[in-house]
Amino acid sequence: MRKYWVVFRVALSERLVYRADFFLSTFLRFIPIVTTILLWRAVFDGAGTDRVGDLEYEQMVGYYLFVMIARTFGSMPQLASGISNDIREGGLRKYLLQPIDYLGYYVALRIAHKFVFFVMAAGPYALVFWVCRDFLPGWPALGTFALTVVTLVFAFLLGFCINAIIGLLGFWFLEVASFMHLFMTVQYFLSGHMFPLSLLPDGIRSIVTLMPFAYETYYPTMILLQRLETAEIVRVLFIQAGWIIALGTIARWMWSRGLRRYAAFGG
Amino acid sequence: MHLARYGRILLRFWKNALIREMSFRAHFIVQVGGELLWIAMMLIFIKVIFRNTGNVRGWTEGQYLFLMGTHMIVTGIFETFFFSNCWRVSHLVRTGDLDFVLVRPASAQFLLSFERIDYTSLTKLPVAVALCLYAASSEGRAITLNHVLLFIPLIAAGVIMLYSLLFMFAVTSVWLIRQTSVNHLWFYAVNLARYPAEIYQRFAGGALWFGLVFVVPILLVANLPANVMMRTFEPTMVAYFFGASLVLLVLSTFVLRLALRSYRSASS
Repeated sequence: MRKYWVVFRVALSERLVYRADFFLSTFLRFIPIVTTILLWRAVFDGAGTDRVGDLEYEQMVGYYLFVMIARTFGSMPQLASGISNDIREGGLRKYLLQPIDYLGYYVALRIAHKFVFFVMAAGPYALVFWVCRDFLPGWPALGTFALTVVTLVFAFLLGFCINAIIGLLGFWFLEVASFMHLFMTVQYFLSGHMFPLSLLPDGIRSIVTLMPFAYETYYPTMILLQRLETAEIVRVLFIQAGWIIALGTIARWMWSRGLRRYAAFGG
Repeated sequence: MHLARYGRILLRFWKNALIREMSFRAHFIVQVGGELLWIAMMLIFIKVIFRNTGNVRGWTEGQYLFLMGTHMIVTGIFETFFFSNCWRVSHLVRTGDLDFVLVRPASAQFLLSFERIDYTSLTKLPVAVALCLYAASSEGRAITLNHVLLFIPLIAAGVIMLYSLLFMFAVTSVWLIRQTSVNHLWFYAVNLARYPAEIYQRFAGGALWFGLVFVVPILLVANLPANVMMRTFEPTMVAYFFGASLVLLVLSTFVLRLALRSYRSASS
């Protein structure tokens, strides 16, 4: 009996070790936000105004907090490198033999990942948002809330399409893994993760907001921040949907073209 | 005699690393491209900030740019020489491969700290130095030989500080097996040290600032050299800076010795 007790205790402490680690890393995630917000506090103080660009200080803080929410939907860690690894190392064979759709399989997998993450992170996130409640707008009306959920789901799908395309480039280029770093850097900036895109000079901003990345993070964040009118939200949703259809089609096309190449030299 | 032997080992390490690096040339180029892109984006961010304000807690745009350049120099040197080594330490402990290092007839700390070198990060340095020179000239500061002679030891002290802190953290994996790895810690350390230290004074009643300056002096590694060069020379802080880096270095050798005493190989 005693040895099972030991096994039980070991297993339990193992889970708890990882749990603690998860909570720690979830809170650590907010460190860069704290530093960025302190930097903006200094900027607001230096400027001596209560408004920088189109945002007040509270909204700036809210922006970075809501970026975290938008990113939990849109970010796809290891998706692109996973796909390109499957291609390079022949792991693709496993999926080709099974009666499932490869990209569909990954969408399902990612939904499961997100679900587990939401359950695990709900506590820490709720705590952080509760502590920062003075910086945030109140709960939106039910209609706006529904639209917000839709934009977040679209952010998830858009993030999936973009990362899948990068991964599928592995059919043509062997070095996708090292290209990833470059891509992440660009995405960090172009998606509005680094700072609100509205602060960019007009010329650069109009180019940046033409790209799909802004619809992955910046616009969903502005919607969460309740900075957009309903008509604008609907417009964003349509553009998001357009990008998802366009990029999804491209990913499908790359998949079928790439598979022909793969079959050709995988032999 | 002793020194010459270690010099020879070091040269051999660097040559091996270069051969390894050059066998993945495309990777190397993409990595360098990524670094340059990151710098460009940071510059845009700073431009955006100074479109809106004349100073950040007293740092003008030129001074801020100099801070960014200094930060890149210090972190670039650390990443080139020590990052992959510190990362490797915890890896070696976990796999038990530390044995292969310990049986070699040379100082364990030397072997653990210098075997790897990352040439990609080295390419950051010329850009960083150019940024510093540009920033200094935009502030109307002439760089004299005296400045350079002061700047180099300050940078060295900053690198030693980072190295000692990260090395100690890596070594603690002998006692604590954890997932929050050297990578994460490095990411947060870089992030904290990037900004003017004064921005932290308003947070948690200055407790965070105090901790990051006097307990784990990670904030100083770029701030102090930049401050001395572009703003004010505070003798007590400079003395503290050099003293702290020395103390941390000695502490790191002590911690390693302590850790090796409780290290038991992972295999068998």
